[in-house]
Amino acid sequence: MSEHRPQMDSLKKPLPPRVTYLGLALFSMGIVLYAIGYYVEPRHAAFNNLINFLFLISIAVGALFLIALEYIAGAVWSVPMRRVNEFLAGLIPFTPLLAIPLFFHLHELFHWAHTDVVAADELLKAKAPYLNSNFFAMRFIATFILLTLFYWLFTRNSLKQDSTKDAKGDIYTRRNIRLSAIFLPVFAITITFIAIDWAMSLEPHWYSTIIGIYYFSGTVLSALAAATYIIIRFHETGRLPGLRRDHFYSLGSLMFAFVNFWAYIAFSQFMLIWYANLPEETFWFIKHWQNGWQAVSILLIIVQFAVPYAVLLPQEAKMDPKRLKFIALWLLAAHWLDLYWFVMPTYNTSLTFGWMELSFPLVTIGLMITVVAWKTKKHNLKPIGDPKLKRGMEFHL
Amino acid sequence: MATEVIDYRKEPSITIQHVTSADIDAAIEAPLNRFPSRRWWIAFGVALALLTTGLCTVALLLFQGIGLLGFNQPVAWAFDVTNFVFWVGIGHAGTLISAILFLMRQRWRNAIARFAEAMTIFAVICAGMFVTIAHLGRVWLAGYLFPYPNQHGLWVNFISPLVWDVFAVSTYFIVSFIFWYLGLLPDFGTLRDRTENKYKKIIYSVLSLGWRFSNRHWSHYERMYLILAGFATPLVLSVHTIVSFDFAVSVNPGWHATIFPPYFVAGAVFSGFAMVQNVLVVVRKMFKFEHIITMNHLENMNKIILLTGSMVGYAYAMEFFMAWYSGSQFERFVFLNRALGPYAWAYWTMVSCNVVFPQLFWLKRFRRNIFIMFIIGILVNVGMWFERYVIIVTTLSRDFLPSSWGHFSPTMYDFGILSLGFGLFFTFVLLFVRFLPSVAMAEMKTVLEGAQPSQH
Amino acid sequence: MKKPIYAITSLFTTPDEAIRAASEVSKAGYTKFDVHTPYPVHGMDGAMQVKISKVGYFAFFFGLTGALTAILLISWVTLSDYPLVIGGKPFWSWPAFVPVSFELTVLFAAVFSTVAMIIFYFKFPNNAHPLHDTPYMKRVSSDTFGITIEANDPQFDENKVKEFLKFLGGKEITTVYFDPEEFDYGQKLIDMRFLGVLAVVALSTATISYFTMNKLLYIEPFNWMMEQHKQKPQQPSNLFKDGIGMRPPVIGTVARGFIPYPFSGKPEEAGKYLINPLLPTKEIVERGKSKFLTFCSPCHGNFGRGDSRLQGQFPNPPTLNSDKVRNWPDGSIYHVITEGQNVMPSYAPQISREDRWAIIQYIRILQRAQNTKESDLK
Repeated sequence: MSEHRPQMDSLKKPLPPRVTYLGLALFSMGIVLYAIGYYVEPRHAAFNNLINFLFLISIAVGALFLIALEYIAGAVWSVPMRRVNEFLAGLIPFTPLLAIPLFFHLHELFHWAHTDVVAADELLKAKAPYLNSNFFAMRFIATFILLTLFYWLFTRNSLKQDSTKDAKGDIYTRRNIRLSAIFLPVFAITITFIAIDWAMSLEPHWYSTIIGIYYFSGTVLSALAAATYIIIRFHETGRLPGLRRDHFYSLGSLMFAFVNFWAYIAFSQFMLIWYANLPEETFWFIKHWQNGWQAVSILLIIVQFAVPYAVLLPQEAKMDPKRLKFIALWLLAAHWLDLYWFVMPTYNTSLTFGWMELSFPLVTIGLMITVVAWKTKKHNLKPIGDPKLKRGMEFHL
Repeated sequence: MATEVIDYRKEPSITIQHVTSADIDAAIEAPLNRFPSRRWWIAFGVALALLTTGLCTVALLLFQGIGLLGFNQPVAWAFDVTNFVFWVGIGHAGTLISAILFLMRQRWRNAIARFAEAMTIFAVICAGMFVTIAHLGRVWLAGYLFPYPNQHGLWVNFISPLVWDVFAVSTYFIVSFIFWYLGLLPDFGTLRDRTENKYKKIIYSVLSLGWRFSNRHWSHYERMYLILAGFATPLVLSVHTIVSFDFAVSVNPGWHATIFPPYFVAGAVFSGFAMVQNVLVVVRKMFKFEHIITMNHLENMNKIILLTGSMVGYAYAMEFFMAWYSGSQFERFVFLNRALGPYAWAYWTMVSCNVVFPQLFWLKRFRRNIFIMFIIGILVNVGMWFERYVIIVTTLSRDFLPSSWGHFSPTMYDFGILSLGFGLFFTFVLLFVRFLPSVAMAEMKTVLEGAQPSQH
Repeated sequence: MKKPIYAITSLFTTPDEAIRAASEVSKAGYTKFDVHTPYPVHGMDGAMQVKISKVGYFAFFFGLTGALTAILLISWVTLSDYPLVIGGKPFWSWPAFVPVSFELTVLFAAVFSTVAMIIFYFKFPNNAHPLHDTPYMKRVSSDTFGITIEANDPQFDENKVKEFLKFLGGKEITTVYFDPEEFDYGQKLIDMRFLGVLAVVALSTATISYFTMNKLLYIEPFNWMMEQHKQKPQQPSNLFKDGIGMRPPVIGTVARGFIPYPFSGKPEEAGKYLINPLLPTKEIVERGKSKFLTFCSPCHGNFGRGDSRLQGQFPNPPTLNSDKVRNWPDGSIYHVITEGQNVMPSYAPQISREDRWAIIQYIRILQRAQNTKESDLK
């Protein structure tokens, strides 16, 4: 095939307006329910807000990570689908929407936000230089700025490349490769501190050195799942034509690998704390094993490990778009469950599951749909200027 | 050449200049037919000397007891376990290159996979030596490490991570060996058909099991290879995870950290790649394989060294931060002790070699400079050896109760067993390059230009 | 005799040619044919219409077997055969069983499926195949691609096949015959080489076993510490000048729980400072009586009068009912029992300290009984 690409000069095929309306409808419904929730049970609402905030960050930042990973590894198969990840990363600037209500409710969420509690507790006093509201807020702002900056830089290069011809656009690829190399350590640090600050400090007496990696595994898994679902839907509706079993197999095996990775990290964390049996560490898991939470723990293992493992194990399953779509949605739900399991026992030592848990995710889902739909109107669905696009389309196992 | 412009539109060529299948055969078979050069003999002599020193030390340990070594209470583990973890770690690079890069379809791995797998097997043997003969004491009881019905009615303690180690390292050795041997089958076939020597022909025929290059066999073979790679990947992660459990399941400050499993795995890959890179730099020059094991391969390995070194650095930072965050005086002390205590020299060697020097690999010109990368590779190995030493000895010498603190000093016998590891490993490596094909011939042919039909 | 044909072989120089040719051969209806390539060529399976390999099922099955073996073995050991409380953990500590189970899964899957593949799918080792040592094999194992059509294919006709392969572009079309020697292969029992190898193996096994069991096991360290260079009882020792291995205890050694008697050689202090800790209850006095009759009565008589059954064989002691003894404090009597007096030896080894006090209570009863006053009868 020649370098000339007549039909790919512009590959915009926006999602139909009904998708945007659906997204906006879900989002608005969600906002209303948020408001009601905060009015009726502010502490409970804050916790659900936190779960959805962590969920949104996972997908948005995870998508950015997947973009960087593609550049740094020199991967070819994912190039035709990279735009989807760029759209998902476009959620990063929207994360403060979910964070700001949390900042008004730090007292309800975190023990360490109460100065009197800290003054009475030796351990919390020792952590106070880190766990205090001001530094906490500064960390979030710095993280947000950094991540938004990288999102903007990556996508700017990728989009600019769309309007270049031949090898003149290669410089954007080179720039993004360099950017990825710088981004990866930044990503590691930011995702770790998001996990420490928002998830681990809910139980400020507890700590686990692997917490950053634990959140990372869920992040990549959920970003992959979201991207896979969207990619397959786009493929089915003619928006990403030309994708073959080879591409789906790569997505499927990456998801399978990260299901295993999540299970490995989760098990390591649990087993080490179980084995050493130190009360200052085990109390956290004991909390997650009493008063109804044990059911959720077991459910989590089944939902996030056993079922996806069994479904994705056969080679044909990894290549089958229908099964991949199902498992992608399944894994998104599993990641929500993971965050819910992690966070909620701090809210209530007895199992709580109600209308808020079921309805608050509407905001996140609605936001995701709206943003992705909006971006399909503005940008090409494939990175048409990317020099590896042709190789990516022709990719064979 | 520092400034080659990459053309992203073309499939990157694995080899420099056009190489055909026949060229591969000729180039890789050549060292096997030549009488080894003087340089090989010198290297072999050195390796053999180290090995002999090591074996003599082991003999002394067998007859006079392991009290000859420097460890005692409270530092009950020192050089022995440091070396064990070090060598198991080195082995991980081989499987990563063979299995994981295969699953990721990074075709450049074909040129170095054979060598890396061989190094894995040798490294695991060395590690096994440390655990069985260099620190067991009553070595002839080593059979008790495995669960078998015996007249005492005793079983191994399945709850102990030391038993998990037995299973993990044995499985790792066996599976790596099978994976390596499966890769060697077609090459033995080729060598069998090319050799003129009557005795070599018999040996290669037996070793090749009669491989006929039939495509009906290749289809099963390829499937099996993929499945083995798929098993070897979680296996290699599990092995060093289980080795890390030896430490992490304890309550000792500095040892009991949940990050140990992925931290150890990253560290293993890190040190393994440094060792592979070092040895390959030498081998490709000696055997004139520069057109097959190219600068691109070395650069890719250096990138992986940078990546895994950064992961190790992340783990150091995480441990340090959490030690402070925990508020536990014991945890906080351990880290201060590592940096400022009696073993500070080892700690700072570790940090500079593992975190600081590999950062040079951010710059392309250092990634592609033979001398610099060789030095950094050695430094990484030194740093990783010291990492295990620091982890083990600082925590053991100063844990919870100051009245139980004690110092460890190595005796000359400790250095004797250290030379056993290096001697055995390099002896194996030198024998390997003399008698077996150091590059996987069939795998290399698969990725040459024009090797695959044009529809694919 | 006409040599039996195995197959017709042909060579192709590029992978594209080989794939096209293989595809044609398969489409023409041949089933017993094969393609030989120095490395796996992508798409050849499809061209030959070869089905996807089923080795994966073996791997899955064996892996499951490994997992089950591990879990069942460990569960049996920890729950039934030898349950031990380790680290305060429950007998069935499943998190601790995960690593071993995982390893055995991988081990069984990898080892058994590879061995199964080699034995059942490849039918290796087989170095007697007709294609071995042919010029065809030499080319095909290096850099050329080959197609063979076997004679036992139902559509096989030597000339037709040769024409077909030439039409497809094959070069060096050759007929490969079965080697009559190998055609009749099979290991005969009475074969000199086989018997020779058998003899050598038998002899070496026997020799090695003999030397291991009868010689090696007696050498250190293989003799399992049967020979211990330690000091055995009643054996001489050259560590000491006198050569004696059994040494008396060091001066000043005391038995466990032993407290030295503080009034050794000091009867007045014993009488002054020692106080009978026991009260004259019925049990104490009964005990004292029993001990007195055992140890003291042979010399002192049953009532302490000194008129024992010794009857001149040994000097009789003075009566215990004398004023002197009655006026002695308990501690003095205790001292006499402990240290002895005149002819009487020390009874400290035979009578425990508590028993001595009990005896003293009994002696007091005896003394009172033999020196009664009017007031006692009331």
